[in-house]
Amino acid sequence: MANKRNLTIGVLLGVAVLVILAWRPTVLIYGLQAAGLYASIAIPMGLILGIVHIVNLAHGEFMMAASYLTYMICRASGMDPYLALVPVAAVTAVFGFLVYKLTIRRALKAPELNQLILTFGLAILLTQAANLLFTSQTRKLSFDYVSASVDIGELSFGIYNFVFVAVAVAMVVGLRLFLTRTTTGKAALAVGQNPRGAAIVGIDVDRTYAFVFSLASALVGLMGAAFITRSSIFPTVGSPFTMKSFCLIAMAGVGNIPGILASSVLLGISENFLKAFRGTRGWADIVFFVLIITVILGRSIRGKKA
Amino acid sequence: MKRTIIALALIAAAAMAFGQGTIKIGATWPLADITGKQGSMAAQQAVDEINKAGGVLGRQLELIIIDDELKADKAAAAIEKLVTVDNVDLIIGGMSSGVALGQVPAMKKYGKVVVSTGAASSTVEAALGADADWYFHLHPWDYNQGASYRQGWDEIQVKYSNVKIKKIFLAYEEGAFGKGSFDQTKILFAADGRYIVDGAPFKSAAQGGGDYGSVLEAAKMAKPDLFLWAGWDADALPILEQAKAMKFSPGLFGGAPPGWPVGFGTSRLSENVVFYGMWAPSINEVSPASKKFYDGFVAKYKLEPATYFAPLSYSAVYIVADAIKRAGSTDTAALIKALEATKYESPLGQTITFTPAKIIKHQGVKNQKILQWQKGRQEVIWPFESATAKPVYPFPKWK
Repeated sequence: MANKRNLTIGVLLGVAVLVILAWRPTVLIYGLQAAGLYASIAIPMGLILGIVHIVNLAHGEFMMAASYLTYMICRASGMDPYLALVPVAAVTAVFGFLVYKLTIRRALKAPELNQLILTFGLAILLTQAANLLFTSQTRKLSFDYVSASVDIGELSFGIYNFVFVAVAVAMVVGLRLFLTRTTTGKAALAVGQNPRGAAIVGIDVDRTYAFVFSLASALVGLMGAAFITRSSIFPTVGSPFTMKSFCLIAMAGVGNIPGILASSVLLGISENFLKAFRGTRGWADIVFFVLIITVILGRSIRGKKA
Repeated sequence: MKRTIIALALIAAAAMAFGQGTIKIGATWPLADITGKQGSMAAQQAVDEINKAGGVLGRQLELIIIDDELKADKAAAAIEKLVTVDNVDLIIGGMSSGVALGQVPAMKKYGKVVVSTGAASSTVEAALGADADWYFHLHPWDYNQGASYRQGWDEIQVKYSNVKIKKIFLAYEEGAFGKGSFDQTKILFAADGRYIVDGAPFKSAAQGGGDYGSVLEAAKMAKPDLFLWAGWDADALPILEQAKAMKFSPGLFGGAPPGWPVGFGTSRLSENVVFYGMWAPSINEVSPASKKFYDGFVAKYKLEPATYFAPLSYSAVYIVADAIKRAGSTDTAALIKALEATKYESPLGQTITFTPAKIIKHQGVKNQKILQWQKGRQEVIWPFESATAKPVYPFPKWK
């Protein structure tokens, strides 16, 4: 019965994709590109939430700080951001480690509201520091490869943003391999599922948390370096992505990293579908919240039935 | 006892003399934003220049700046503080229309002379009403801007017969600024049927957007002669990068942000992009006042002014200083009368006088300029009297 239902859903989705492709292929193209960006920013936040169980409201600001660091390195050395991402990721990993040791660790047993206030405070601190150092004037590094395009008949579209799809897929696969094939990853998974049990069997929970926080910060740093190739940066550039990432994680379910990618695809295509109609171009934000409410409500109803 | 009374009298006299020592100019700007930051810096530059030359009426000017944080409530509280605590003689500054709307009730309550450098939305003018004779508005209203763009493109097509514009497409950010710009463009360009105006909204990178694929696709399908985007500086380069990827090359490619990102002119993508503004460093070549302002700013701050709010705020200080000198005091009625007679050769490349707008009595600048990025420089292409270059047309096809 379930197989039949899944098959029906699969066929319906396949038909929908084919119809969209035939009618307006760019909906699928831009939708997937947007999904790649959303997912690759949200996945590190999902990793922290799934294992350390803390909502990092400074997530977008970590990415903003990494983007500024990339900007400075590239301006000073003429280096491409894709080369700079290695030192940037290393710096953000150390930064994440210090932030965990100096602040997050002390709030792990505090009420959730205190944890939120702490990370919110970190977000404000980073934004204001960027404002003082760089002012609010936007900065952007411009590269020819960002405008790479493909022509299919009359249709010309940019292909550069597919980089973010590749990054998101690489993050999902890499993290899955890490969490299931390595000792440290398995320990992190155990700590995420049951920290007390993990401690009883001899896993150093604090060290694991510190490692996961640093790893996620490194991934955010990597995204910060890639982000500046696509977007302008300014002190508040990261904050909208914090909210979007959190909502995507809520849609996918905490700890479900491949689910973040799936939610992002759903969101990206839905947004671009609405943007294709003259009358619904401004509705992209509405579809975002409608999707979140629908998914969470649906999950809650299914849970009650179960 | 007698000695104590004499001492107290001396202290009181000294305090009064000290109070009379400076002419206090209160100001509010959003200091975290480049417009407010550089606006306040330029105003301080003007104050320092005037004080160095001996001040006004033998007194030094003192500029008291409060950061409005781009918030209407903070900005309203700033007016209260400037008037009641700092006892300023008059007020200058401002940038955002929404913030200015929040300040209007406090301004009306005290009736101090205000020389505003911001607020383009005519909703602010409606809130002020016709009785606000103490309000002097330097920045053009939205309908002034729209009318001057229309006039500008009409005149450019007459002077340069190869420039042909019939269809205009405006990509506008979803907020009040973008929507207002689109509404004004439709009213001023399409009302008489001379132009066909179409448009579509996009979410600005400044608000967490930054994906322009769908709006550029709509623009490409419309095949416009003039494509314009009304957004923020964060959109400037990404929208060009995506337009290049989509091989979208309209006859004219333009933008209307309040400022440009750092180093925009050094990007090859900026070449021949047209835009609207009030000032550019190239005006130094045709205006000695602009050169004086520019050289002074660079010498003082080791930084190039990047927004027209800098020369506009600089002008505000010189205009009030000149009016105080002619009025002979800071008395409100005398000051209003003196300001009404203003004739100031500004760094914007034009003489500022105050004439009636639709509602208020004292409107300073009424026109904007049409500029074009050429070889990394912002060149004025209209009005012709302050033009620094001819327009490059058409916008070259992407390679």
